[in-house]
Parts: sequence; structure tokens; C-alpha cells
Amino acid sequence: MDRDAQRRIVEALIAGSPEPVSAARLAQIVPEANASRIRELVAELNAHYEETGHALEVWEVAGGYQLRTRIAFAPYLQALQPRRRVRLSHAALETLAVVAYRQPVTRAEIERIRGVEAGPVLRGLIERGLVRIRGHREVPGRPLLYGTTDHFLEVFGLADLKDLPTLRDLRELAAGEAASEDAPPEAEAAPAPRDPEEPLPGPHELH
Amino acid sequence: MSASVDGQATIAFEPLVADGPHRYAVKLPVFEGPLDLLLHLIRINEVDVHDIPVARIAEQYVAYLELMRELNLEIAGEYLLMAATLAWIKSRMLLPREEEAAEAEEVDPRAELVARLLEYQAFKEAAGELDGRPRLGRDVFRAEVGAPGECPTPEPELAVRVLDLVEAYRRVVEQQAEPPAPHELSHEPVTVRECMLAVMARLERDEVVSFEDLLAVEQARGGRRAWMVAAFLAVLELARWEALLLYQGVDEEGVPTGTIRVRRGPEADTGHWRDAISEVM
Repeated sequence: MDRDAQRRIVEALIAGSPEPVSAARLAQIVPEANASRIRELVAELNAHYEETGHALEVWEVAGGYQLRTRIAFAPYLQALQPRRRVRLSHAALETLAVVAYRQPVTRAEIERIRGVEAGPVLRGLIERGLVRIRGHREVPGRPLLYGTTDHFLEVFGLADLKDLPTLRDLRELAAGEAASEDAPPEAEAAPAPRDPEEPLPGPHELH
Repeated sequence: MSASVDGQATIAFEPLVADGPHRYAVKLPVFEGPLDLLLHLIRINEVDVHDIPVARIAEQYVAYLELMRELNLEIAGEYLLMAATLAWIKSRMLLPREEEAAEAEEVDPRAELVARLLEYQAFKEAAGELDGRPRLGRDVFRAEVGAPGECPTPEPELAVRVLDLVEAYRRVVEQQAEPPAPHELSHEPVTVRECMLAVMARLERDEVVSFEDLLAVEQARGGRRAWMVAAFLAVLELARWEALLLYQGVDEEGVPTGTIRVRRGPEADTGHWRDAISEVM
């Protein structure tokens, strides 16, 4: 099968899948293509969209590809769907940031960092599918552990958690210099023991 | 018009030009909590966070709380706790330093607070950055092809119409009609939480139960009606947590029809729904 034909199939598959679809999955369906070829084809597709001035582009989020409208067209799409509510309050965003960078994290830890109660905000984030319960910390009280979801990655345009911008080093903030930066979240040593029943987080778990 | 402390204007509020002395628009900066407020005070006082003039900052902090109280705003407990913490730090800084051996470590009483402030600030910034990213549903949108909005496509045999749920509930209510009881003191009626536990226990015994079966019961604390209401809510809540699934049959045209049934859902075994009751409800 020639490259053009493959690329069109990739385009059709990505367009037809509202959820992000991984390169591996695409490679299973597209004839004579492996994941590496898929990645090339997607790059070509995006280049093609760019050259022809398409209003769409392929993003890599939550471990897969998703077709989206370009940012420039946001005002028009908002006019089309005014009811959509994706407003997140400062409290929600701060809480989300703590969960994203420190996961798995307990409610008490979140409250310690933010200095305010976290319960209602957490519930809201869970309802929106941005945060989920990941198990317990095996200490007295067995508090719940929270983490972000694949939907979180999708909403904020992240391929996976490693894509989170590094948290600014605390000393750097105070001194105002460009000091060394904190390691990205997954690389941080997690002092909390994991719940042995929880599988270790992969780069992306579809849930 | 502003409330000033120490000769420096800290909070400003402006009168609405309007009818009468009671119409004021208060432009009070909104803070996410005591740490946020402290960061603000540190910034406008232009002091170094590593060398906070505790007395001055504490004074302004308390002045802010006073202002909130004057405006009848609710002051969350955390703000009061921080006020106490500041007072404690201030007192420690006033204590005469003991002359110890040369290597005696002097722990700066402000150290812990400073660490918390810096950590909070890092996350506050991170939150701002997250907000700035192109967001799905606000700045960018999925190029949907045919599929309806955000709802995941339901499997045909699991679709239950809300109307049918309510209809089933109504039927049970009618069948279970109790004669009006003489007014008497009753125990506290059964709670939704208890119902949730009872429903899940029932589902562990019987794999599939009809929805109406769950609502009907011979006896319950507070009366059968109380049970029905609580059970209805419990089933909805458990469905939301995916601890159970509600489903109906489907006729040839794909319209849901027939008895509504309930069975254990994917989250039934993880027990997360159980924890969520205590944590969040």
C-alpha cells in the first residue's frame, strides 16, 4: 500500500475517533504500517494541513492522536456552543496543579500545601473527570490517594505527565535567579509507599 | 477610600455613586487562603520573603481580617489559624536568644512558614500556567465526526431513560402506600449512606436485582417511604460512581423498554465508592 493511501487511512481513523488513539493502535489497523511509520504519517498530515491552511490539526494528547480545531478559531466555536462550561476556578486550578505534580497525593497533603480545605474542590474535579482516586496510602487511617486522569491530559493538551512544565525550584523563586529546576513529576522520588494492588502508572492508562 | 495600615494603603474599596449611604461596591481582592493573602502582603510591602518583618506583616494581616469582619464576610478557620501562627512566630522572634555553644543551631521561627509560602507560590504559578495552556472545550475543540458531544456512546443494552426510572419509582410508591400513621416520635430515618451500603450488599448476594425490588422493603427505620427515597438516591449515587449499572431491554427500534435492572458495576470491587462516601460526602 502506498504512503498516500496509508496517510489517508490514518487521517480517517484519527478523525473518526473522538478519544485520542495511539500510534500502536493505528499501526494495528493501517495495513503495512508500524508505530514509527504512523508517527511519520501524522507529521506529514500536519504539514499538509499547515500548507493548505486547514482549520484542523492533529494533537498528541493522553498518549494518542486527536484531531482538533486550531486555536485561532476559538471565538467562532464558542459562539456555536455557548452552553459549554469549562471554567475552572483558581482554587480548582491550584488543587489540580498540586495533584498533577505530586500524585499520588492525599487530601491532607493538598490542604497542607494550599492552606485551605480541599474536599469540595476535589469532588468537583472528580466529577469533571480530571482527578481520580488511585488507592490508599498504607499508613494509619489509610487516606485516599488522588491522581489525574487521562482526560486531564486530554483537556490540557499533554501527551503524558512528563510533558508538564517543570515546577519552578523554590529557591529560584525567592532569589529570582534561574537556578536548577525541579525534576518532572514522575521522576520525583515518591516517599509514600504504593498500594501494592495499584498497578504502577504507565505513561498512559486508558480508563 | 481605603483601609490603611502603617501609613501604607493595603486594601481599597470604592463607593458606588448611587442613592444613599448604603450602596458601596467593595473591591476587595479575593484570596485563595491565608497563604495567598500573606504572599500579597509580602509583595506589596516589597519585603524579602526570606526575611519577613513579622510584626508588620502580622499587623496588616490582622487588619485585613478585621476588615472582613466589618464587611460581614465569613472568615474561614484557616485564616484564624494563620493569625495564631503569626502571633506565635512574632513571640518567638521577640524572645531573647540564648547564648549557647558556637555550633548551636538557631532555627529561624519563620523558616517553616517561609517554606510553605514558597511551595504554595510554586503551585500557584503552576496553576496559572495550566490555565494558560490551550484548553479543550475553551480554545481548541475536537473535530467531531458524527459522534455526539462529550457523552461516551452508551451500549444499547445499558441505556435507561430517566423517565422510566421515575416511573418505576412511582409504581413502587403506589404499591407500598402506607396508611397514615398516628403522629408519633420516630427514630431518625434511614440515611442515603446506609442505603448505599445495603444496596451493594444485596448486589453481592444476588447478581442481578430489579430496580423496583431495591426500593420496596418490608420495614425500615423511619418508614418505608423514607427507605424508598433514600434508596432511589443511593442507586443514583452508586450509578454515578459506577459501583452499579442500571439497564433495560431494548425493543426493535432501540427504544429502552421493560423492567429496569441493576447489577454490579466495574467500580463495585475497588471500593472507591465506599471511601468516597466518608471522604467527600
